[in-house]
Amino acid sequence: MSEPKKFEAGLDSDSRKSPVRVAFVTRRTSPHVKAQDDALVMTWPETLFRAAVAIEVLGIALVLLALLWDAPLEELADPMQTPNPAKAPWYFLGLQELLHYFPPVIAGVLIPTMVIVALIVIPYFNINVEAEGVWMRAKQRRLRIVGIVVGVLAALFVVFEVWAILIPTLAVAGFMFLAAASSADSPDRFRRWLVAKPLSFWIMSWFLIQASVLTIIGTFFRGAGWAWVWPWRA
Amino acid sequence: MPDEKSTTEQEVRCTRRETFVKLGLGTLGVAGAGAAVFGYEFLSPNVLYEPSPITNAGKPDRYPQGSVTADPKTGIYVVHGPEGFYALSAVCTHLGCLTSWLPEQNQIACPCHGSKFNAEGVKIEGPAPRPLAWLRVWISDEGDLMVDRSTTVPARQFLRT
Amino acid sequence: MAKMLDTYVNDLRESRLWRSVFRSGTGATNLHRALAVQQNIFLHLFSVKMRRAALNFSVTWYLGTLSLATFLILVATGIPLMLYYHPSVPQAYADMKDLQFVVSAGVFLRNLHRWSAHAMVLLVFAHMFKVFYRGAYRPPREFNWVIGVVLLIITLFLSYTGYLLPWDQLAYWAITVGSNIMSAVPALGKKIRFLMLGGNTVNANALLRFYVLHCVILPLAAILFIGIHFWRIRKDGGLYTGEAKSHE
Repeated sequence: MSEPKKFEAGLDSDSRKSPVRVAFVTRRTSPHVKAQDDALVMTWPETLFRAAVAIEVLGIALVLLALLWDAPLEELADPMQTPNPAKAPWYFLGLQELLHYFPPVIAGVLIPTMVIVALIVIPYFNINVEAEGVWMRAKQRRLRIVGIVVGVLAALFVVFEVWAILIPTLAVAGFMFLAAASSADSPDRFRRWLVAKPLSFWIMSWFLIQASVLTIIGTFFRGAGWAWVWPWRA
Repeated sequence: MPDEKSTTEQEVRCTRRETFVKLGLGTLGVAGAGAAVFGYEFLSPNVLYEPSPITNAGKPDRYPQGSVTADPKTGIYVVHGPEGFYALSAVCTHLGCLTSWLPEQNQIACPCHGSKFNAEGVKIEGPAPRPLAWLRVWISDEGDLMVDRSTTVPARQFLRT
Repeated sequence: MAKMLDTYVNDLRESRLWRSVFRSGTGATNLHRALAVQQNIFLHLFSVKMRRAALNFSVTWYLGTLSLATFLILVATGIPLMLYYHPSVPQAYADMKDLQFVVSAGVFLRNLHRWSAHAMVLLVFAHMFKVFYRGAYRPPREFNWVIGVVLLIITLFLSYTGYLLPWDQLAYWAITVGSNIMSAVPALGKKIRFLMLGGNTVNANALLRFYVLHCVILPLAAILFIGIHFWRIRKDGGLYTGEAKSHE
């Protein structure tokens, strides 16, 4: 004669009734502890002293900068006279350069919104979280997709005559295809490094290179009437 | 039996609480909508101390045939073309920079993003999405040429004197 | 001499007044060190202990710490600058000239504020790319990445609203062009621009609105989100130190 069971197995979504925790092990992960170097130090003083040193070094650098170079101040604002060229702050010059190529709805609204949305959703896509080399699986299909996307973008940039975007895009795409053509145990270290890179790496690097190129062009290579100038000839 | 009673009580209490939650949320919703409307009204100025859009450009004979005259104070071009007078807004249709007239190239150029227009405001090159705006022009009772910057007219609407 | 100073400092730190402020005491044990963090309202955003690996320079390049440093410098220089600045046309420009030529150390404060603002934008961008390339955005830190994006946008808005305040040609036309981008938003663009500028053109209303945004609304928003950002570092398992070496 057995005693009646005091529990029963089952699933429930009401956490007040059945406070059970379930660990879900997702695809191709394992529940083992990954971190090895678990040596701990006291936040005070180890971390806080290092942070204080970093802050002081930066403070000294900025104070020296402020003592040596004066902030710009031009003449009084005049709504009836636009300076030539009229430039935004440096971090918006990439955007201003885009505005030179595309209509305001695309360059000023659509692209910045897309960048912000793309940044926010990065950690919510499994493909980014797994961070697996982009060519590791479904290589043929992915090659086709990447090929079509790069082709469409390149055609678009040729139509708008935007060489400043076309060239970096093709360069990044070139490295992507080089990665596709390399094997994971290639003797070349650089190629092995390329192969391991996930899709998010390629998109982010494209964005970084593109933003830098456009900002540098807008800052140094644009003169009166937003015409192209060589900074060393000015 | 006592179990059943407590469940009923609990249900009743929950229902009442839920009612109050709904009432509270509803009130907050109404208050939020009201705040949004009044906030919008508050943030929109009712009186603007901006300069008058109507400009007296002087006697028409100040402008010789075939001339393009920029008025830097008001941001307009007064043009005396072969078909009559007209006025163009000097504000670039791209991003609102003030354009300038380049007589040697017979062009209107924007310094911000490199748009160029001809003397009738039609875009020659650059990112500007539309031609420059044509403004309403008329002759006042005193015989002066008047321009209204706030009213645009269809292109190629000339004023003959 | 130095020994005497040490004694005085020690006496001070053992005094009743000091101990009423800093309860952790002066001992050199780990308990005292832990209490020093745990009992301080600002420091308690940090955990008491941290992984040694997280302190290596290569892990963070201290870019987050340095972004915070520029923010602190900007607050410390911005508040004194407010004392000599009237957000009205054309007084604002006259005040800039005064800061440059009349006010003692005015030009230094303005320079430091300006260069720190540029440095902050640069450091926040660098911090974002560093976090991305190390993969530190991955779960469980995904929400803190989103908070970081919000902070990036606040940083850009802070810098942009500050750009108008000198009311010189540079400021005026940068804001004119920038606000016209906004009117390209379909349907609502013109309205948004009108509300932001408080008029149809960049004028005295716009200057005042940008001033309030720059000095009150955006800094408060920044402080709020910086607080959440720091809190989440701790709650999401501390600074990301990378995958295990044995894995490779």
